[in-house]
This record gives sequence, C-alpha cells and structure tokens, in this order.
Amino acid sequence: MFRYIFKKTRSSSLKKENNHKLQGVGQGNVCNVPLSSDLCKNLETIKGILHDSSDVTVHEFNFGHDRRSRGALVFINSLADKNEIQKNILQPLMFGSLLLSNDADMDFNSIESIRKNLVPIADTLIVALLSDLVGNLLAGAVILLIDGSKEALAVRVGKGEPRAVDEPATEAVVRGPREGFIEDVNVNIALIRRKIKVPDLCVEKLVIGEKSKTDVYIIYFKSVAAPELVEEIRRRLNSIKIDAVLESGYIEQFIEDNHWSIFPTISNTEKPDKVVAKMLEGRAAILVDGTPFALVAPMVFIESFQSVEDYYSRLFLASVMRFVRILSYIISALGPAIYVALTVFHQELIPTMLLISIAEGRERVPFPAILEASLMLFVFDILREAGVRLPKPVGQTVGIVGAIVLGEASVQAGLISPIMVIVVSTTAIASFAVPAQTDSGTILRYIYLALAGIAGGFGVIMGLLVTLVHLASLRSFGTPYLWPVAPLNLSGLKDTFIRMPLWTMSKRLYNEKGSDSG
Amino acid sequence: MGKKTSKTIIVLILCICVLSALSGCLGGREINDLEIVIGMGVDKDKDTGRILITAQVVKEAAVGRSSGNGGGDGKAFWNVSSTGNSVFDAIRQITHKTGNRLFVSHNHVVIFGKEVAAEGLQKYIDFFLRAHEMRPTAMILVAEGRAADVMDAKPETEKFPAMNISKLAKSYGFTSHIYKVNMKDFASNLMSPASAALAPLVDTSHGRDKESRDINVSGMAVFKNGEMVGILNHDEVRGLLWVIGEVKSGVLFVTSPGGQGNAVLEIIKAKSRVTPEIKDGKIIMHIEVKEESSLSEQTTAENLATDEAFEKLQKATEEIIRHEILATFEKSRELKADIFGFGEMLHKKYSKEWKDIKDNWDEIYPTVELDIAIESKIMKTDLLKKPASPDEKEK
Amino acid sequence: MNVEKGKISDRQLLFLIAGFVQGSALLIDFTIGITEHQTWMVILAGLAVTSPFILTCAVLAKRFRGMNLVQINDMVYGRFLGKVISVYYIFFFLMTLSFNIRDIGELYAAFLTPDTPFIFLLAVFAATCAYAVAKGVEALARVSHLFVITGIFVVSSTFILLIDQMEFSNFLPMFDLPFIRIFQGIHIMSAIPFGETVIFLMITGCLDKTGHEVRNTFAGLLIGAASLLAVAVRNTAVLGKTQTIWTSATFQSIRLIDIGTVLTRMDFLIGVAQTVLIFFKCCLFFYALATAFAQLLGLKSYLPLVLPLAGIEVIIAATVFQSPIDHASITQSAGIIYSVPLMFVIPPLTLLIAGIRGLPGRDRGEET
Repeated sequence: MFRYIFKKTRSSSLKKENNHKLQGVGQGNVCNVPLSSDLCKNLETIKGILHDSSDVTVHEFNFGHDRRSRGALVFINSLADKNEIQKNILQPLMFGSLLLSNDADMDFNSIESIRKNLVPIADTLIVALLSDLVGNLLAGAVILLIDGSKEALAVRVGKGEPRAVDEPATEAVVRGPREGFIEDVNVNIALIRRKIKVPDLCVEKLVIGEKSKTDVYIIYFKSVAAPELVEEIRRRLNSIKIDAVLESGYIEQFIEDNHWSIFPTISNTEKPDKVVAKMLEGRAAILVDGTPFALVAPMVFIESFQSVEDYYSRLFLASVMRFVRILSYIISALGPAIYVALTVFHQELIPTMLLISIAEGRERVPFPAILEASLMLFVFDILREAGVRLPKPVGQTVGIVGAIVLGEASVQAGLISPIMVIVVSTTAIASFAVPAQTDSGTILRYIYLALAGIAGGFGVIMGLLVTLVHLASLRSFGTPYLWPVAPLNLSGLKDTFIRMPLWTMSKRLYNEKGSDSG
Repeated sequence: MGKKTSKTIIVLILCICVLSALSGCLGGREINDLEIVIGMGVDKDKDTGRILITAQVVKEAAVGRSSGNGGGDGKAFWNVSSTGNSVFDAIRQITHKTGNRLFVSHNHVVIFGKEVAAEGLQKYIDFFLRAHEMRPTAMILVAEGRAADVMDAKPETEKFPAMNISKLAKSYGFTSHIYKVNMKDFASNLMSPASAALAPLVDTSHGRDKESRDINVSGMAVFKNGEMVGILNHDEVRGLLWVIGEVKSGVLFVTSPGGQGNAVLEIIKAKSRVTPEIKDGKIIMHIEVKEESSLSEQTTAENLATDEAFEKLQKATEEIIRHEILATFEKSRELKADIFGFGEMLHKKYSKEWKDIKDNWDEIYPTVELDIAIESKIMKTDLLKKPASPDEKEK
Repeated sequence: MNVEKGKISDRQLLFLIAGFVQGSALLIDFTIGITEHQTWMVILAGLAVTSPFILTCAVLAKRFRGMNLVQINDMVYGRFLGKVISVYYIFFFLMTLSFNIRDIGELYAAFLTPDTPFIFLLAVFAATCAYAVAKGVEALARVSHLFVITGIFVVSSTFILLIDQMEFSNFLPMFDLPFIRIFQGIHIMSAIPFGETVIFLMITGCLDKTGHEVRNTFAGLLIGAASLLAVAVRNTAVLGKTQTIWTSATFQSIRLIDIGTVLTRMDFLIGVAQTVLIFFKCCLFFYALATAFAQLLGLKSYLPLVLPLAGIEVIIAATVFQSPIDHASITQSAGIIYSVPLMFVIPPLTLLIAGIRGLPGRDRGEET
C-alpha cells in the first residue's frame, strides 16, 4: 500500500547522492569532528567552514578573576539579538566573574561550570562536535568558545520578528476564534497548547531538509490517535529526503498516498481551533516552522465540505450550508459540462419554451457550445489568477473589467450567449464555496466539459464513474477517502450531509477503517 | 501494481475520446442549427394524392423580436410542408426547404386531416410511434378540414398554434366535453381488437375572417380499426366520460324545481365503476356513477338552497347524466364502435367467455344492456345562501 | 493461492448482489414480449425457482472459505476436469459480459444518442469498466450501496411520477397466457437476473470473516428482485397492452412522464441511471472473468489481463449480433440454454461431490 512512498524515497535518495557529490569537501569533513581545546584553531576552522561570511561576527574577549581566561563568541549578526548578548552573556562573564571571590570553586576552563554559574539564560546546549556547533550557529544560536575546553556552549538568544497572531486570510469566520497560525512554529504550538491543557497532547519534533534543517512537529493526542497512524506519519516523514522545506506543501507532497490523484489526501488549515478539533477526532497534525499552514492527516473527502463554523453555529443553518457546499461543488465541477451536454446532445430534456429562448440567445453566436464554454472558463481562470496576484486595489479593477467588459460586451457583440454567461458565472462563484476542493473542481470542470463536448451525457457519466471508482480506491493514511459514505458508516453519517446535534456525536469515529482495511 | 494498469486505461480512454472527436462529430447538434418542430400536420396532397406533411418550425429570431419591439410580420413560426410517399419520406423531403434535419423531440401535437383519418391512421401513425425523437405524450387530433389550415391559425395570446392546440386538448377538464388522447393511448386502442379509438376534433370554421381564425375543439372523432367512422359531439363525449370516470368538471344545466328557470351546477367530482356481467348469455354492464356538484348559478328567483330543492335537483341531475350516457351508447351502437371499452372489461373479467365473443364482438356490442345507477349530490352553494331576490314570505 | 488480496465484508456482499440484480432491470424487456402483463408473476416465480440453487452457491462459498470458483473446481473435480469446467465458466462470463456491454451500446444507439458511433460507445464503456476492475473488488464493494441506492431511487421516483398514469386493471385477466410462454419467461428470468449471480462464487472468496453471508445473499437478492418487480409492475400498469410493441417497454414508460410540461422526456436521465447500474453489473462480471482467467493461468495478479480482455469484449460485443432483434431472440431462446448447467447443475453437483469426498476437509489451508 505504501509502495509509492518507497519508490518516491528511492528516487529522491538517488537525486540526493548527486547533490552530495556536488557539495564538495568543505562540509563533508565537518561531520563528527570534535572540537579541539585550542581556541584559535577552533575559530579558524569555523571561519573556514563558513567561508569567512561577512555576517559572521567573532568576538574574542578575556574574562575570569584575573582576566586571564580567553573566550570567544561566534554568532551571525542578523540572527542574534545583540542586546541579549551584551546583557546576559558578556556582562556576567566579563564583569560578573570579577565579583566572584578568588577562592570560589570556579573552573573557568569548563563550559559546564560556566553554564551553571555565569550564563543566566535557560536555553543553552553544550556541543562537542563541530557539526553540531555549526548547526546551532546557523540556527541563530550564539556560540561561546573557551580556550582549553573541548566543548562549546550554544546559547539560543534567537532574535525573531514573529508576526502578530492575526485573523487568517484564507479562513475568515463570522463566528469563532479570530486567531490564526503564524510563521513561527513555537507560537503555533503555544496556540494549540493554550486550547488543550492535558498531558495527553504529544509533540514530537523532527528535523527535515538537508539544507533548511526545518523543525517539523507531529502533534496528536496519545489516547485518541491510533498508534499505527502516528507511526506511519513518522515513517513517511523520516523517509523524506529534500534540500529545503519552505512550506508545509513540500511535506504534503512527499507523504500523500497517491501522488497522481487530483484530490488532496491531507488537509491544511491556518486555524488552531480547527487543528485541535481534528486532533480530538483522532487525527494528527503536522506543524512546519516557517509557514502558517498546518497539515492534518488523514483527510476524508467529506471534510472538505465541513467548516468549523458548522459546529459553532446552530445545527439547522449548519446543515443547510453543508448541503449548499456539496451542491456548489457539484455545480462547479459539472455546471458547464451539463449545459453543453444538454444543449448539444440532449435538447429533448430542456422544456420547450426554455429551449426556444436558449436558441434565441444563441442565434448570433458563431462558435460551437463547447468552444464557447471553454473560452469563457479560460477567461474566468485568467481573471482569477490575475486578481489573486495583483495588489488589492488593482485586483478589484480586474474583477470589474472582467465582469462588465467581458461579460456584458461579449454578449452584446454576439460572441457569447447570455445563458452561457449565467452558467459560467454561477460555476465560478460555486467553485469558491468549497475552498479545500477548488483545485480538484477546476480540473474536473475542464475534463467533464471535454467529455460532454465529445459524447454528451454518456461522456459525462463515464467520467463520473471513473471519478467515483477513483475516489473509492483512494485512501488517506489507511482511511478510505470516501468514509463514511463508502464504506458505509451509519454513525459517521451523522456529520456528513447534515450535522446532527453535537450531543449525538459522542462516539469517536476518526480512523475507523471500515471492515475492508487492507 | 494497480497503478500502471489504471493509468494505462485512463490514457486509453482519453485516446479513444480524442480520436473520435478528431474523426468527426459524435452526434451532437448545436442548438442554433436545430429546426425545432412543435407541431405536425398530416394531409393528403390534393393533386398527387401523396402524403403532405406540414411541420411547424420555431423561428427563434422572431420569438424575441415579437416580444420586444414588435418588428417583422409578428409570426414566430414557419409552417413548412412537403410531400412524400410516406410520413418519414415527406419529413425528410422538408430538409430541402429548411436546410437542416427537423428536430421533432419537442413535437407536442400531431394533427391528421379528415381525409387521412377517414382513410385509416394505421399506416400514418407508425412513424410517430417508432421514431426515437418523437414523444409518446404528443397529443393526437383530427382536423375537421385540412390539418395545414388548422396549423395556420394564429392564436391571439399564444405565439404558436401548435402549443395552443395542445393546450386546448389538455384543458378538457373544464367542460369534460372533449378528452385528451396522446400517441400512446391511441396506439393502445388501435391494438385492441374490440375497442374503438378516439381523437379530439379541431376546426377553424368559427373564425370571423381569414386573418384571425379561432381554433375550436368541436368534439371527438371515433375510429374503428384505425379508420374514422363518426363524430361524437360535446354532450356525447361527456356521456362517454361519465362511464370511463374521466369527468373532471363541467356544467350541468338543470330545470329548477319550480320550473321558472334553471339551476346551473358545476361538477366537482365524479367517479364511476363498471362491472360486466354475463347472465343467461346476455351481457349486462352495471354502471355506477357517483357525482358531486355545487350550485354555481341559478336563473330563477326561487331559493334552491333547501333540502327539498336539492332533492329534486339531484334527481334531475341523475336523469340528465343517465340521458347523456344512454345517448352516447345509442350513438356508439349506430357506429358499431365500442368506444367505452366494454370489450376489454369483459376480457378482463370473463377471459374464457371472451374467446367466444371476441370474433363477432361487433355484432354482439349493440345487444349489450346497460344497467345504470347514478348517485348525485349537491355539496355547496358557493357564496350565496339565497338568491338576491325579494324573500318569498314578503311577497 | 487466490489472485485477489482485497477483502469485502458480508454487508458489502449484500449490496453487491442487490446492485448486480438491479443491473438486469433493462433486460426485463426481453421477457415482456413473451409474458406480457404476467411478467411480475414470472419474476417472482423465477426468484422462487432460482433460490435453492443460489442457496447451494452460498453454501459452497461458505464451505470453501477463501477460495474462488476455479480453485473449488480444481479441488472437487481434480486438476483436469476442474480446468475444463472452469473454462466453461470463463466462456460463460466472456459471452454474458459482451452481451451486457452490447446492451449499453444498444441502449444508446437506439434510444439516447442514436448518432453516436456504436463502437465508440462500446470501447469507452469497456475501458471504464476495465478501470474499475483494475482498482479491485474492494473499491467496487465500498461504493456498492451507492449503486443500489441509485437503482432504488430511480425505480421509486419513476414509479411515483407515473402513478397517475397507471391503470391497475391492466393486470387482468390474471391467468390468460398459455403455460408454455410463462415457462419460457420463468426460464429467462431465472437464468438472466438471478442465475447469473453464480459469478459471486468468484467474489465470495474475498469475504473477510464468517458472518451472515447466506442471509445477506438472499437479502441482496430480494432487494434486487423487488426493484425488478417494481419496474415490471410500472411498465405493465402504465403501458398496458402496448408494452409488447416497444423495443424497450421500460424506456417507453419513462418517456410518458410529463409533469407540468417541464419534466418531460426524462428517458435520458433514466438511461444514465440505467447505465450506472449496468456498469456495476459489467464490472462484477468483468472482475469475475479476469480473476477466473488469471487463476486458471496461474498468474499472480489479474491486472495484466484486464486490458486485453476489455479489447476482446468490445470485439465480441460489436460483432456477436447483427441487430437488437437478433440479440433479443437469441437471448430469449438459445442464448441461455448453454448457461443453464452452470447455474443449475454444476453448483449442486460440486456440493454433492464435495460432501461425498469430504472436501475441503483438513487440508483446507493448503494451496492448490
């Protein structure tokens, strides 16, 4: 079942081998070399490894009772907080140590004793290997080296400018918490921890990326999430071989079940409350440093139609809205296809008077319906793409130009029939009602449209059957993608097409694999 | 393992689709290339004796114009006709005039000229049943004269004569003076060796001038073995509908108990049950009709909203209904046409005896006896309790 | 060793069987020409006649747990005779599948889109089936109830939409037709929708645990039979006498739907639903064919066979009959004679021999 992952891993490790060869010797021999006790030699080596980068500051100083001990601070200018260095590292070492009485049991050549006695910072780490030293240095730590010690102290005084916790742009809600994840993963974990105050919440850290060394966290509830699920996620994450993880999308593409499916099998969100809710259902979250998007696995298809607000608002409107979302998805995937199939192949299905008015509207249109529909859809996609990339004020202009000039004028000019404009604009609006499946909806729309143009309703129904079988065969981390619809799970259906009252959903159904798990 | 095969298959499906798309059309037709036919007429060509088909084609461009700024000749349809050796042949001949194949999926009405109907519809109707585009729900009608003339008559409120005619036939319920018959019903009756088929009769003779002729459904044509043998007028049709339980509504004209005027009753509901019985070699049809009506109008000053008056009115109503049924039966006896479907009823109840009767049903039918039991009720008097006339006591 | 690794539950078996039987709803039209207004009785009689044989199959499946038909044949009849019988079954699967694929072609060529090339319809349909079969029986089983729901929805909605046009006196007189025609009808009914469930012997090997497979088999059969019955009743009640003249009575009755002149000519929608049901039936047939063939050849997986078989199916389907009339008359008479032993003789015989020889006995776990 996971053989694709193996394959992927194999091919990516092959690529990596080549990369290693190219990287040259400079870093290759760093690994596992211990530090020497000679400060100057250490500094030379470090400078060599960093190729004398100009943003690396090496600050040598003397300290101790009699200022006879020599030490050095190495840090990267841009990453370290200089204030912090002066106040909490240099001051205690250079002046604080003077205040100690001479006979005090203090060994200035031992990093361990300096850490315990002189550095008033909690987040410190003793490193003995050059590779660890460089790793910490590049992660923003300040390295304290002391002559005569074979160890160094990495002090994490990282200077970050975390963005303020803000309402997420992609998942705005009317009712519900307005906080969203930010780029700093520690803040994100804090947001989750703040909602759940039990020791049950497990946070596992992994470092992924040969070059980026990105922190990736698996977060789950020990008592709720299936151990196999967590084990599987860990296994897949560990098998990733990549240079850099710049966004959680990288991770997603490596660990998803079927790389050739247009349907996403891992969900992502910016909202801590959503992550927590999903974890409580037995899913596991994957947080990646540097991006506000958390991944949640496994994902089932019907999740795309659920919104956190469904649970915050009362059930009646929630159920109606869920129905609206499902309908919107169907319209967004099938709308133009059905229009083309009906008007080109199955005109007998259209009520007579409607048929006559459609025919009247199409009187002057020179293109076949399929071409007309593809053109309009393509123009819509251009508008969408242009609107997203442009700055906000200009983006609005694009929308207006698109709506008025293209919609109104092309009908006036007789290029497009008015009904086609209605069909395409309805489809366009509908496609945004289900954000999680907008991508798959867009692709399916073109596929179904082509099938409808070729073989009418027969083509569409064959396309739908292939889609259905594909969806049925899809799994996300062992959970059938169409759960709870297929395989049928009656208690799971309480939260599928309608949302039953919360008190009826007391059972946890998360990773029920159905009786046919393979 | 499944990956490769399924990917191959998807690629294959796409290839098939693309190849077929490239190789030409797969049966799609753009909507503006359609000649949408909404009604058809079947006549005999006067000179050659060949079949003349008239198709009513929608003029899409004219539809919008006539509703908008009212330009053009105002006609939103085009009656195009052509002759041929058969219905199908003639329909195909029409393409010489339209340039496109006729699109008959939206054909709502088929009108046969009287001449054709008299000759027998058996050979004309086959195409309308067989062609896959045709609807079995299309109305079938007979024109008093020529079908083409009926289809020319432009109604005042509807844009299309054909739609208007199909509407007329479907609205039979208001008077119960006619009855709608669609293709499937007609075929069903054609197939029965005993029953006679019926079709509404339309004519345009009541028009004032040639420009604005009115279409009028004047009765029903009776078919025996597919040939038109007679006509039922409005009252006779209702007599038939009482028996087969298809009276929906209608007006009953009853002399008031005092005799000075009339009570006009609206039929609200009618039900019927027919039980055949074979007794001592005689066939008796027991017909039970239950009717409910309301007092809708009265043309006399006396108060009819009393128990006694109701009693009398109900009696009179029952007589009228009985009379209508008997008159219709008399007519069908003359025509020797089993319009009621008594033969089928016998078949269903006495399937063994039916085998003997079947062959000379035409002779036996006139000897059938009717046993009619009618129960009529007046349920309400609408908004008035009394007529707006001086109270009888004050006189 | 079984070629299929996927597992299905006994509840899914219920839906698989129900969907399979519903897939034959259109084939009632073959019988209507013979049995006219008594078709509904024939369906019930067919079900009654077939039930003991289906019970036999279910018992066989239970006895030979985890084994498919080819393995059972090998075990019961020995290597050689077993192979011969299996080849007979495979031939049956091959032909019946091609008939069903042809049904789709005829459905579209005659009713829905007459201008679309026949061979194109067959090829696309067969390729779609092949895709589903390549995904395995598990995927199909998982969505089986959706197909059954579609079938029930279509049958009940058309029934309701046509209810005002129904004339229940069309069922009278009750017993009118000569017995030979009824017998012929029962034969068709028992052989086509119900008897064909013998293919489930290729699928029951995938059942994951002991459960109520016998009970569920019959529940599925009943759901399917109820749908067929509803279709037959609808056709007769709506069309009456005329039901015998149409090429497809089912479609004709649907064409009569007329709700406020807006919902008219619904035949395409129903045709699509019908396509979905036949698709399901064809997939199961195709799956049985592919696995039986692979098992016979001793392959590890049936997937390499899927595409070649699909090609062969299309060729057979395109050439086997000259016209729908040919198709109907052969199906009504000769076509189903050869399939009779497969449904009504061999399964009981297998069970009998297995009983006598005490198979599968103690050496059950062994691979044959």
